Amino acid sequence: MHWEEVRDKFRIWREDNSRHSEEVVDLWVNYLQSQKHKLGDEQWMVEEQVFIAGLDCGRLDVADQCFIALSKQFPGSVRVLKLKGMRLETLERHEDALTIYDAIIREDETNSTARKRKVAVLKSQGRIQEAIKELIEYLSKFMSDGEAWQELADFYIKEGDYGKAAYCMEELILQNPHNHLYYTRYAEIKYTQGGAENLELARNYFSMAIKLNPINIRAYYGLIVSCSSSITSSKLTSSKKKEIQKLSDWAQKKLTQRYEEEKSKSIKMDKLQESLNSLCITDKSCSS
Amino acid sequence: MSEPELLLDPDIRIWVFLPIVLVNLLVGIVRHYVSVLISTQKKVDVTQVQDSQAMIRARLLRENGKYIPKQSFLMRRHFFNNEDTGYLKTVKRASNPQPMTDPNMMIEMLKGNVTNVLPMIAIGGWINWTFSGFVTTKVPFPLTLRFKPMLQRGIELLSLDASWVSSVSWYFLNVFGLRSIYTLVLGENNAADQARIMEEQMSGAAMSMTQDTKAAFKNEWEALEICDHKWALKDIETELIKRAEVEC
Repeated sequence: MHWEEVRDKFRIWREDNSRHSEEVVDLWVNYLQSQKHKLGDEQWMVEEQVFIAGLDCGRLDVADQCFIALSKQFPGSVRVLKLKGMRLETLERHEDALTIYDAIIREDETNSTARKRKVAVLKSQGRIQEAIKELIEYLSKFMSDGEAWQELADFYIKEGDYGKAAYCMEELILQNPHNHLYYTRYAEIKYTQGGAENLELARNYFSMAIKLNPINIRAYYGLIVSCSSSITSSKLTSSKKKEIQKLSDWAQKKLTQRYEEEKSKSIKMDKLQESLNSLCITDKSCSS
Repeated sequence: MSEPELLLDPDIRIWVFLPIVLVNLLVGIVRHYVSVLISTQKKVDVTQVQDSQAMIRARLLRENGKYIPKQSFLMRRHFFNNEDTGYLKTVKRASNPQPMTDPNMMIEMLKGNVTNVLPMIAIGGWINWTFSGFVTTKVPFPLTLRFKPMLQRGIELLSLDASWVSSVSWYFLNVFGLRSIYTLVLGENNAADQARIMEEQMSGAAMSMTQDTKAAFKNEWEALEICDHKWALKDIETELIKRAEVEC
Protein backbone atom coordinates (compact mmCIF):
# COMPACT_ATOMS: atom_id res chain seq x y z
CA MET A 1 0.00 0.00 0.00
CA HIS A 2 1.28 3.45 -0.86
CA TRP A 3 1.59 6.05 1.86
CA GLU A 4 -0.66 8.46 -0.01
CA GLU A 5 -3.49 5.94 0.00
CA VAL A 6 -3.08 5.55 3.74
CA ARG A 7 -3.13 9.30 4.17
CA ASP A 8 -6.37 9.60 2.22
CA LYS A 9 -7.91 6.78 4.20
CA PHE A 10 -6.95 8.46 7.46
CA ARG A 11 -8.38 11.71 6.21
CA ILE A 12 -11.74 10.12 5.40
CA TRP A 13 -11.88 8.47 8.81
CA ARG A 14 -11.08 11.75 10.50
CA GLU A 15 -13.81 13.50 8.60
CA ASP A 16 -16.35 10.80 9.43
CA ASN A 17 -15.34 10.80 13.08
CA SER A 18 -14.89 7.06 12.88
CA ARG A 19 -11.99 5.65 14.77
CA HIS A 20 -10.97 2.33 13.15
CA SER A 21 -8.33 2.22 15.83
CA GLU A 22 -6.68 -1.10 15.07
CA GLU A 23 -6.44 -0.36 11.37
CA VAL A 24 -5.06 3.09 12.06
CA VAL A 25 -2.32 1.75 14.28
CA ASP A 26 -1.47 -1.04 11.82
CA LEU A 27 -1.33 1.22 8.80
CA TRP A 28 0.68 3.80 10.69
CA VAL A 29 3.29 1.38 11.89
CA ASN A 30 3.60 -0.43 8.57
CA TYR A 31 3.32 2.32 5.99
CA LEU A 32 3.00 5.87 7.18
CA GLN A 33 5.42 6.26 10.05
CA SER A 34 8.51 6.21 7.89
CA GLN A 35 6.96 8.75 5.53
CA LYS A 36 5.47 11.09 8.09
CA HIS A 37 7.66 14.06 7.20
CA LYS A 38 6.02 14.05 3.77
CA LEU A 39 2.62 14.84 5.22
CA GLY A 40 3.28 18.52 5.78
CA ASP A 41 0.97 20.23 8.23
CA GLU A 42 -1.33 17.27 8.16
CA GLN A 43 1.28 15.30 10.06
CA TRP A 44 0.12 16.66 13.40
CA MET A 45 -3.47 15.76 12.87
CA VAL A 46 -2.45 12.27 11.82
CA GLU A 47 -0.26 11.99 14.92
CA GLU A 48 -3.23 12.98 17.05
CA GLN A 49 -5.40 10.40 15.32
CA VAL A 50 -2.79 7.69 15.75
CA PHE A 51 -2.30 8.68 19.38
CA ILE A 52 -5.98 8.20 20.15
CA ALA A 53 -6.05 4.98 18.17
CA GLY A 54 -3.01 3.79 20.07
CA LEU A 55 -4.75 4.45 23.37
CA ASP A 56 -7.80 2.59 22.12
CA CYS A 57 -5.81 -0.54 21.36
CA GLY A 58 -3.51 -0.27 24.32
CA ARG A 59 -0.50 0.33 22.08
CA LEU A 60 1.08 2.80 24.43
CA ASP A 61 4.43 2.54 22.64
CA VAL A 62 2.90 3.96 19.46
CA ALA A 63 0.85 6.53 21.33
CA ASP A 64 3.78 7.80 23.33
CA GLN A 65 5.87 8.39 20.23
CA CYS A 66 3.08 10.50 18.78
CA PHE A 67 2.59 12.31 22.04
CA ILE A 68 6.24 13.23 22.31
CA ALA A 69 6.20 14.57 18.76
CA LEU A 70 3.04 16.56 19.38
CA SER A 71 4.13 18.09 22.65
CA LYS A 72 7.45 19.05 21.10
CA GLN A 73 5.64 20.75 18.23
CA PHE A 74 2.95 22.48 20.29
CA PRO A 75 4.21 23.18 23.79
CA GLY A 76 1.47 24.64 25.96
CA SER A 77 -1.32 23.71 23.62
CA VAL A 78 -4.67 23.00 25.23
CA ARG A 79 -5.41 20.34 22.66
CA VAL A 80 -2.24 18.44 23.51
CA LEU A 81 -3.05 18.83 27.18
CA LYS A 82 -6.35 17.12 26.52
CA LEU A 83 -4.47 14.25 24.88
CA LYS A 84 -2.31 13.99 27.98
CA GLY A 85 -5.48 13.66 30.00
CA MET A 86 -6.67 10.88 27.72
CA ARG A 87 -3.38 9.07 28.21
CA LEU A 88 -3.84 9.24 31.96
CA GLU A 89 -7.32 7.84 31.50
CA THR A 90 -5.88 4.86 29.67
CA LEU A 91 -3.49 4.30 32.54
CA GLU A 92 -6.53 4.43 34.84
CA ARG A 93 -5.18 7.44 36.70
CA HIS A 94 -8.63 8.97 36.65
CA GLU A 95 -8.11 11.61 39.31
CA ASP A 96 -5.05 13.00 37.54
CA ALA A 97 -6.96 13.11 34.29
CA LEU A 98 -9.78 14.99 35.98
CA THR A 99 -7.37 17.60 37.34
CA ILE A 100 -6.01 18.13 33.83
CA TYR A 101 -9.47 18.57 32.38
CA ASP A 102 -10.38 20.97 35.17
CA ALA A 103 -7.29 22.98 34.38
CA ILE A 104 -8.28 23.13 30.71
CA ILE A 105 -11.76 24.31 31.58
CA ARG A 106 -10.34 26.98 33.87
CA GLU A 107 -8.16 28.17 31.02
CA ASP A 108 -10.85 28.10 28.36
CA GLU A 109 -14.39 28.02 29.62
CA THR A 110 -15.82 27.26 26.21
CA ASN A 111 -13.78 24.10 25.72
CA SER A 112 -16.50 21.55 25.18
CA THR A 113 -14.27 18.52 24.62
CA ALA A 114 -12.65 18.77 28.04
CA ARG A 115 -16.05 18.88 29.71
CA LYS A 116 -17.15 15.85 27.73
CA ARG A 117 -14.01 13.97 28.65
CA LYS A 118 -14.78 14.61 32.30
CA VAL A 119 -18.11 12.91 31.82
CA ALA A 120 -16.35 10.04 30.08
CA VAL A 121 -13.95 9.62 33.00
CA LEU A 122 -16.82 9.47 35.47
CA LYS A 123 -18.62 7.01 33.25
CA SER A 124 -15.63 4.69 32.97
CA GLN A 125 -15.35 4.75 36.75
CA GLY A 126 -18.97 3.73 37.01
CA ARG A 127 -19.91 6.94 38.83
CA ILE A 128 -23.06 7.31 36.78
CA GLN A 129 -24.83 9.72 39.13
CA GLU A 130 -21.91 12.12 39.09
CA ALA A 131 -21.57 11.74 35.34
CA ILE A 132 -25.22 12.67 34.94
CA LYS A 133 -24.72 15.72 37.12
CA GLU A 134 -21.70 16.77 35.13
CA LEU A 135 -23.47 16.22 31.85
CA ILE A 136 -26.46 18.28 32.93
CA GLU A 137 -24.08 21.04 33.91
CA TYR A 138 -22.55 20.78 30.45
CA LEU A 139 -25.92 20.76 28.73
CA SER A 140 -27.04 23.86 30.56
CA LYS A 141 -24.21 25.62 28.76
CA PHE A 142 -24.25 23.78 25.43
CA MET A 143 -27.91 23.09 24.95
CA SER A 144 -27.88 22.15 21.32
CA ASP A 145 -25.29 19.39 21.53
CA GLY A 146 -27.09 16.31 20.28
CA GLU A 147 -24.31 13.91 21.22
CA ALA A 148 -24.54 14.97 24.83
CA TRP A 149 -28.30 14.57 24.91
CA GLN A 150 -27.91 11.08 23.51
CA GLU A 151 -25.36 10.17 26.14
CA LEU A 152 -27.63 11.53 28.85
CA ALA A 153 -30.49 9.43 27.51
CA ASP A 154 -28.24 6.37 27.76
CA PHE A 155 -27.35 7.24 31.33
CA TYR A 156 -30.97 7.66 32.32
CA ILE A 157 -31.93 4.39 30.70
CA LYS A 158 -29.15 2.72 32.61
CA GLU A 159 -30.54 4.23 35.80
CA GLY A 160 -34.08 3.26 34.87
CA ASP A 161 -35.28 6.86 34.83
CA TYR A 162 -37.34 6.53 31.68
CA GLY A 163 -39.22 9.82 31.93
CA LYS A 164 -36.01 11.80 31.81
CA ALA A 165 -34.57 9.57 29.10
CA ALA A 166 -37.68 10.27 27.04
CA TYR A 167 -37.08 13.97 27.53
CA CYS A 168 -33.57 13.60 26.11
CA MET A 169 -34.85 11.63 23.13
CA GLU A 170 -37.42 14.34 22.47
CA GLU A 171 -34.57 16.80 22.34
CA LEU A 172 -32.85 14.64 19.71
CA ILE A 173 -36.05 14.37 17.69
CA LEU A 174 -36.29 18.14 17.75
CA GLN A 175 -32.80 18.40 16.40
CA ASN A 176 -33.24 15.82 13.72
CA PRO A 177 -36.88 15.04 13.04
CA HIS A 178 -36.11 12.79 10.09
CA ASN A 179 -34.04 10.18 11.84
CA HIS A 180 -36.17 7.06 12.24
CA LEU A 181 -33.81 5.59 14.83
CA TYR A 182 -34.60 8.38 17.27
CA TYR A 183 -38.30 7.70 16.83
CA THR A 184 -37.82 4.00 17.43
CA ARG A 185 -35.78 4.65 20.55
CA TYR A 186 -38.29 7.14 21.87
CA ALA A 187 -41.16 4.75 21.25
CA GLU A 188 -39.28 1.97 23.01
CA ILE A 189 -38.77 4.16 26.05
CA LYS A 190 -42.43 5.10 26.06
CA TYR A 191 -43.43 1.44 25.72
CA THR A 192 -41.19 0.53 28.62
CA GLN A 193 -42.80 3.22 30.74
CA GLY A 194 -46.18 1.66 30.13
CA GLY A 195 -49.63 3.08 30.82
CA ALA A 196 -52.36 3.71 28.27
CA GLU A 197 -51.14 7.16 27.26
CA ASN A 198 -47.54 6.13 26.85
CA LEU A 199 -48.56 3.07 24.87
CA GLU A 200 -50.48 5.25 22.49
CA LEU A 201 -47.45 7.49 22.06
CA ALA A 202 -45.30 4.42 21.54
CA ARG A 203 -47.65 3.18 18.81
CA ASN A 204 -47.59 6.54 17.11
CA TYR A 205 -43.85 6.86 17.22
CA PHE A 206 -43.25 3.31 16.03
CA SER A 207 -45.59 4.10 13.15
CA MET A 208 -43.65 7.26 12.38
CA ALA A 209 -40.40 5.31 12.34
CA ILE A 210 -41.96 2.82 9.90
CA LYS A 211 -43.18 5.65 7.75
CA LEU A 212 -39.71 7.18 7.60
CA ASN A 213 -38.00 3.87 7.00
CA PRO A 214 -40.28 1.08 5.77
CA ILE A 215 -37.68 -1.61 6.49
CA ASN A 216 -37.13 -0.74 10.14
CA ILE A 217 -37.71 -4.25 11.48
CA ARG A 218 -37.28 -3.24 15.10
CA ALA A 219 -40.08 -0.70 14.70
CA TYR A 220 -42.40 -3.39 13.28
CA TYR A 221 -41.76 -5.61 16.26
CA GLY A 222 -42.25 -2.65 18.56
CA LEU A 223 -45.50 -1.75 16.87
CA ILE A 224 -46.80 -5.29 17.27
CA VAL A 225 -45.97 -5.52 20.97
CA SER A 226 -47.28 -2.06 21.77
CA CYS A 227 -50.49 -2.81 19.85
CA SER A 228 -51.05 -6.06 21.69
CA SER A 229 -50.53 -4.40 25.07
CA SER A 230 -52.85 -1.54 24.11
CA ILE A 231 -55.66 -3.89 23.17
CA THR A 232 -55.71 -5.49 26.60
CA SER A 233 -56.53 -2.18 28.27
CA SER A 234 -60.24 -1.75 28.84
CA LYS A 235 -60.52 1.98 28.27
CA LEU A 236 -60.52 1.88 24.50
CA THR A 237 -63.63 1.88 22.34
CA SER A 238 -64.23 -1.18 20.26
CA SER A 239 -63.73 0.68 16.97
CA LYS A 240 -60.38 1.91 18.18
CA LYS A 241 -59.50 -1.62 19.20
CA LYS A 242 -60.37 -2.83 15.77
CA GLU A 243 -58.09 -0.25 14.22
CA ILE A 244 -55.23 -1.21 16.45
CA GLN A 245 -55.81 -4.85 15.61
CA LYS A 246 -55.66 -3.98 11.94
CA LEU A 247 -52.42 -2.10 12.44
CA SER A 248 -50.86 -4.96 14.27
CA ASP A 249 -52.02 -7.47 11.64
CA TRP A 250 -50.54 -5.32 8.95
CA ALA A 251 -47.22 -5.07 10.78
CA GLN A 252 -47.15 -8.85 11.21
CA LYS A 253 -47.85 -9.35 7.55
CA LYS A 254 -45.08 -6.97 6.64
CA LEU A 255 -42.68 -8.84 8.87
CA THR A 256 -43.55 -12.20 7.40
CA GLN A 257 -43.18 -10.76 3.93
CA ARG A 258 -39.80 -9.45 4.85
CA TYR A 259 -38.69 -12.82 6.17
CA GLU A 260 -39.96 -14.56 3.05
CA GLU A 261 -37.92 -12.16 0.98
CA GLU A 262 -34.84 -12.80 3.04
CA LYS A 263 -35.41 -16.52 2.76
CA SER A 264 -35.69 -16.44 -1.00
CA LYS A 265 -32.62 -14.25 -1.08
CA SER A 266 -30.65 -16.73 0.95
CA ILE A 267 -31.81 -19.48 -1.36
CA LYS A 268 -30.49 -17.44 -4.21
CA MET A 269 -27.27 -17.01 -2.30
CA ASP A 270 -27.07 -20.79 -1.97
CA LYS A 271 -27.47 -21.15 -5.67
CA LEU A 272 -24.83 -18.53 -6.24
CA GLN A 273 -22.49 -20.35 -3.94
CA GLU A 274 -23.23 -23.59 -5.79
CA SER A 275 -22.44 -22.10 -9.14
CA LEU A 276 -19.31 -20.50 -7.72
CA ASN A 277 -18.26 -23.87 -6.38
CA SER A 278 -18.76 -25.48 -9.73
CA LEU A 279 -16.46 -22.89 -11.25
CA CYS A 280 -13.66 -23.75 -8.91
CA ILE A 281 -11.09 -26.33 -9.77
CA THR A 282 -10.37 -27.33 -6.22
CA ASP A 283 -12.87 -27.34 -3.43
CA LYS A 284 -10.53 -25.89 -0.89
CA SER A 285 -10.17 -22.44 -2.38
CA CYS A 286 -13.89 -21.76 -2.30
CA SER A 287 -15.05 -23.48 0.79
CA SER A 288 -13.46 -20.79 2.91
CA MET B 1 -4.44 36.48 -42.19
CA SER B 2 -5.34 40.08 -41.75
CA GLU B 3 -3.07 42.54 -40.03
CA PRO B 4 -3.80 42.77 -36.24
CA GLU B 5 -5.26 46.10 -35.29
CA LEU B 6 -2.64 46.75 -32.63
CA LEU B 7 0.81 45.36 -32.23
CA LEU B 8 2.08 45.46 -28.66
CA ASP B 9 5.71 45.90 -27.81
CA PRO B 10 7.09 42.63 -26.35
CA ASP B 11 8.65 44.78 -23.63
CA ILE B 12 5.16 45.48 -22.37
CA ARG B 13 4.74 41.78 -21.79
CA ILE B 14 8.01 41.47 -19.92
CA TRP B 15 7.96 44.71 -17.96
CA VAL B 16 4.25 45.38 -17.42
CA PHE B 17 2.10 42.30 -17.90
CA LEU B 18 4.17 39.81 -15.97
CA PRO B 19 5.34 42.17 -13.18
CA ILE B 20 1.72 43.02 -12.32
CA VAL B 21 0.89 39.32 -11.93
CA LEU B 22 4.03 38.72 -9.94
CA VAL B 23 3.58 41.73 -7.66
CA ASN B 24 0.02 40.72 -6.95
CA LEU B 25 0.94 37.15 -6.17
CA LEU B 26 3.78 38.10 -3.85
CA VAL B 27 1.73 40.73 -2.06
CA GLY B 28 -1.00 38.16 -1.54
CA ILE B 29 1.42 35.67 -0.03
CA VAL B 30 3.02 38.28 2.22
CA ARG B 31 -0.42 39.43 3.30
CA HIS B 32 -1.37 35.89 4.20
CA TYR B 33 1.61 35.47 6.48
CA VAL B 34 1.26 38.92 7.99
CA SER B 35 -2.35 38.24 8.88
CA VAL B 36 -1.32 34.92 10.38
CA LEU B 37 1.28 36.78 12.43
CA ILE B 38 -0.91 39.52 13.81
CA SER B 39 -4.21 37.75 14.15
CA THR B 40 -5.28 36.87 17.65
CA GLN B 41 -7.31 33.91 18.73
CA LYS B 42 -10.73 35.21 19.51
CA LYS B 43 -11.83 34.38 23.00
CA VAL B 44 -15.44 33.47 23.27
CA ASP B 45 -17.33 34.12 26.40
CA VAL B 46 -19.07 31.10 27.85
CA THR B 47 -22.28 33.06 28.34
CA GLN B 48 -22.16 33.98 24.69
CA VAL B 49 -21.97 30.34 23.73
CA GLN B 50 -24.75 29.52 26.12
CA ASP B 51 -26.99 32.22 24.73
CA SER B 52 -26.47 31.21 21.15
CA GLN B 53 -27.06 27.56 21.94
CA ALA B 54 -30.23 28.44 23.78
CA MET B 55 -31.34 30.42 20.78
CA ILE B 56 -30.68 27.49 18.50
CA ARG B 57 -32.64 25.22 20.79
CA ALA B 58 -35.57 27.62 20.93
CA ARG B 59 -35.58 27.91 17.17
CA LEU B 60 -35.50 24.13 16.76
CA LEU B 61 -38.38 23.83 19.18
CA ARG B 62 -40.33 26.31 17.13
CA GLU B 63 -39.59 24.55 13.86
CA ASN B 64 -39.71 20.90 14.85
CA GLY B 65 -41.93 21.10 17.90
CA LYS B 66 -44.69 19.39 15.98
CA TYR B 67 -42.79 16.11 16.10
CA ILE B 68 -42.95 15.75 19.87
CA PRO B 69 -46.06 15.25 21.98
CA LYS B 70 -47.97 18.31 22.99
CA GLN B 71 -47.12 18.03 26.64
CA SER B 72 -43.41 17.90 25.90
CA PHE B 73 -43.72 20.90 23.65
CA LEU B 74 -45.54 22.91 26.30
CA MET B 75 -43.00 21.87 28.89
CA ARG B 76 -40.16 23.22 26.78
CA ARG B 77 -41.99 26.36 25.93
CA HIS B 78 -42.60 26.90 29.57
CA PHE B 79 -38.87 26.56 30.16
CA PHE B 80 -38.14 29.28 27.66
CA ASN B 81 -41.13 31.58 27.94
CA ASN B 82 -42.58 31.41 31.40
CA GLU B 83 -43.16 34.92 32.77
CA ASP B 84 -41.37 34.37 36.04
CA THR B 85 -38.87 31.62 35.44
CA GLY B 86 -38.54 31.33 31.67
CA TYR B 87 -35.03 31.27 30.26
CA LEU B 88 -35.64 33.95 27.67
CA LYS B 89 -37.29 36.12 30.29
CA THR B 90 -35.00 35.84 33.25
CA VAL B 91 -31.57 35.71 31.70
CA LYS B 92 -30.45 39.29 31.64
CA ARG B 93 -27.54 40.15 29.50
CA ALA B 94 -26.18 43.62 29.24
CA SER B 95 -26.79 44.69 25.70
CA ASN B 96 -23.54 44.73 23.87
CA PRO B 97 -21.76 48.03 23.56
CA GLN B 98 -21.56 49.66 20.19
CA PRO B 99 -18.80 48.05 18.17
CA MET B 100 -17.10 51.40 17.71
CA THR B 101 -16.61 51.97 21.42
CA ASP B 102 -15.20 48.53 22.06
CA PRO B 103 -11.42 48.86 21.79
CA ASN B 104 -10.93 45.17 20.98
CA MET B 105 -13.30 45.48 18.08
CA MET B 106 -11.42 48.54 16.89
CA ILE B 107 -8.13 46.69 16.92
CA GLU B 108 -9.64 43.79 15.00
CA MET B 109 -10.99 46.16 12.41
CA LEU B 110 -7.70 47.94 12.18
CA LYS B 111 -5.91 44.67 11.62
CA GLY B 112 -8.32 43.80 8.86
CA ASN B 113 -7.69 47.13 7.26
CA VAL B 114 -3.95 46.96 7.59
CA THR B 115 -3.73 43.57 5.96
CA ASN B 116 -6.39 43.95 3.32
CA VAL B 117 -7.24 47.44 2.32
CA LEU B 118 -3.99 49.25 2.77
CA PRO B 119 -1.84 47.08 0.49
CA MET B 120 -4.56 47.17 -2.11
CA ILE B 121 -4.63 50.95 -2.11
CA ALA B 122 -0.88 51.23 -2.03
CA ILE B 123 -0.20 48.74 -4.80
CA GLY B 124 -3.11 49.98 -6.85
CA GLY B 125 -1.85 53.53 -6.56
CA TRP B 126 1.65 52.49 -7.42
CA ILE B 127 0.55 50.55 -10.46
CA ASN B 128 -1.66 53.37 -11.55
CA TRP B 129 1.29 55.71 -11.24
CA THR B 130 3.88 53.52 -12.92
CA PHE B 131 1.96 51.77 -15.62
CA SER B 132 -0.88 54.13 -16.39
CA GLY B 133 -1.91 54.32 -19.97
CA PHE B 134 -0.64 50.93 -21.10
CA VAL B 135 -2.63 48.52 -23.10
CA THR B 136 -1.27 45.26 -21.74
CA THR B 137 -3.23 42.40 -23.23
CA LYS B 138 -6.27 41.39 -25.10
CA VAL B 139 -8.94 38.97 -24.04
CA PRO B 140 -9.37 36.35 -26.75
CA PHE B 141 -13.02 37.03 -27.42
CA PRO B 142 -15.03 40.05 -28.53
CA LEU B 143 -16.78 42.12 -25.91
CA THR B 144 -19.42 44.81 -26.04
CA LEU B 145 -18.85 48.47 -25.32
CA ARG B 146 -20.19 48.10 -21.82
CA PHE B 147 -16.99 46.37 -20.79
CA LYS B 148 -14.84 49.32 -21.74
CA PRO B 149 -14.91 51.07 -18.35
CA MET B 150 -14.17 47.77 -16.68
CA LEU B 151 -11.33 46.58 -18.84
CA GLN B 152 -9.86 49.87 -20.01
CA ARG B 153 -9.58 51.96 -16.94
CA GLY B 154 -7.12 54.74 -17.50
CA ILE B 155 -7.43 54.71 -21.27
CA GLU B 156 -10.16 56.78 -22.74
CA LEU B 157 -10.02 55.84 -26.38
CA LEU B 158 -13.37 55.55 -28.06
CA SER B 159 -12.04 53.71 -31.10
CA LEU B 160 -10.22 50.99 -29.16
CA ASP B 161 -11.86 47.58 -29.26
CA ALA B 162 -13.40 46.60 -25.92
CA SER B 163 -11.41 43.40 -25.62
CA TRP B 164 -8.14 45.21 -24.97
CA VAL B 165 -7.19 45.36 -21.30
CA SER B 166 -5.38 48.27 -19.71
CA SER B 167 -2.73 47.88 -17.06
CA VAL B 168 -4.84 49.13 -14.16
CA SER B 169 -7.71 46.89 -15.14
CA TRP B 170 -5.28 44.00 -15.45
CA TYR B 171 -4.24 44.71 -11.89
CA PHE B 172 -7.84 44.53 -10.70
CA LEU B 173 -8.49 41.38 -12.64
CA ASN B 174 -5.50 39.90 -10.84
CA VAL B 175 -6.64 41.04 -7.42
CA PHE B 176 -9.88 39.20 -7.78
CA GLY B 177 -8.74 36.33 -9.93
CA LEU B 178 -5.72 35.05 -8.03
CA ARG B 179 -7.64 33.56 -5.13
CA SER B 180 -7.55 30.02 -6.40
CA ILE B 181 -3.85 30.33 -7.08
CA TYR B 182 -3.33 31.40 -3.48
CA THR B 183 -5.07 28.31 -2.25
CA LEU B 184 -2.79 26.34 -4.51
CA VAL B 185 0.37 28.04 -3.29
CA LEU B 186 -0.51 28.46 0.36
CA GLY B 187 -2.15 25.07 0.47
CA GLU B 188 -5.16 26.03 2.53
CA ASN B 189 -7.04 22.95 1.60
CA ASN B 190 -4.53 20.18 1.87
CA ALA B 191 -4.58 20.11 5.65
CA ALA B 192 -7.91 21.59 6.54
CA ASP B 193 -8.18 20.87 10.20
CA GLN B 194 -11.50 19.17 10.78
CA ALA B 195 -11.42 19.22 14.54
CA ARG B 196 -10.60 22.89 14.69
CA ILE B 197 -13.35 23.70 12.22
CA MET B 198 -15.76 21.74 14.36
CA GLU B 199 -14.77 23.67 17.42
CA GLU B 200 -15.03 26.91 15.53
CA GLN B 201 -18.52 25.97 14.49
CA MET B 202 -19.39 25.47 18.11
CA SER B 203 -18.13 28.84 19.15
CA GLY B 204 -18.69 30.32 15.73
CA ALA B 205 -22.39 30.11 16.29
CA ALA B 206 -21.81 32.48 19.15
CA MET B 207 -19.99 34.85 16.89
CA SER B 208 -22.55 34.99 14.17
CA MET B 209 -25.25 35.73 16.68
CA THR B 210 -27.01 38.99 16.57
CA GLN B 211 -25.08 41.64 18.39
CA ASP B 212 -27.80 42.47 20.78
CA THR B 213 -28.69 39.45 22.87
CA LYS B 214 -31.54 41.21 24.57
CA ALA B 215 -33.33 42.04 21.36
CA ALA B 216 -32.66 38.58 19.94
CA PHE B 217 -34.11 36.96 23.05
CA LYS B 218 -37.17 39.16 22.84
CA ASN B 219 -37.70 38.23 19.20
CA GLU B 220 -37.34 34.56 19.94
CA TRP B 221 -39.71 34.89 22.89
CA GLU B 222 -42.33 36.47 20.70
CA ALA B 223 -41.97 33.91 17.96
CA LEU B 224 -42.20 31.07 20.44
CA GLU B 225 -45.17 32.64 22.16
CA ILE B 226 -47.29 32.68 19.01
CA CYS B 227 -46.06 29.26 17.93
CA ASP B 228 -48.88 26.75 17.94
CA HIS B 229 -48.43 23.05 18.49
CA LYS B 230 -49.86 20.86 15.75
CA TRP B 231 -48.84 17.33 16.40
CA ALA B 232 -47.45 15.88 13.19
CA LEU B 233 -48.05 12.31 14.31
CA LYS B 234 -51.72 12.72 15.04
CA ASP B 235 -52.97 10.82 12.02
CA ILE B 236 -50.04 8.55 11.50
CA GLU B 237 -51.86 5.40 12.60
CA THR B 238 -54.83 5.94 10.32
CA GLU B 239 -52.40 6.72 7.55
CA LEU B 240 -50.67 3.40 8.03
CA ILE B 241 -54.00 1.58 8.28
CA LYS B 242 -55.07 3.14 5.02
CA ARG B 243 -51.84 2.03 3.49
CA ALA B 244 -52.51 -1.44 4.81
CA GLU B 245 -55.96 -1.45 3.26
CA VAL B 246 -54.56 -0.40 -0.09
CA GLU B 247 -52.03 -3.19 0.03
CA CYS B 248 -54.63 -5.82 0.92
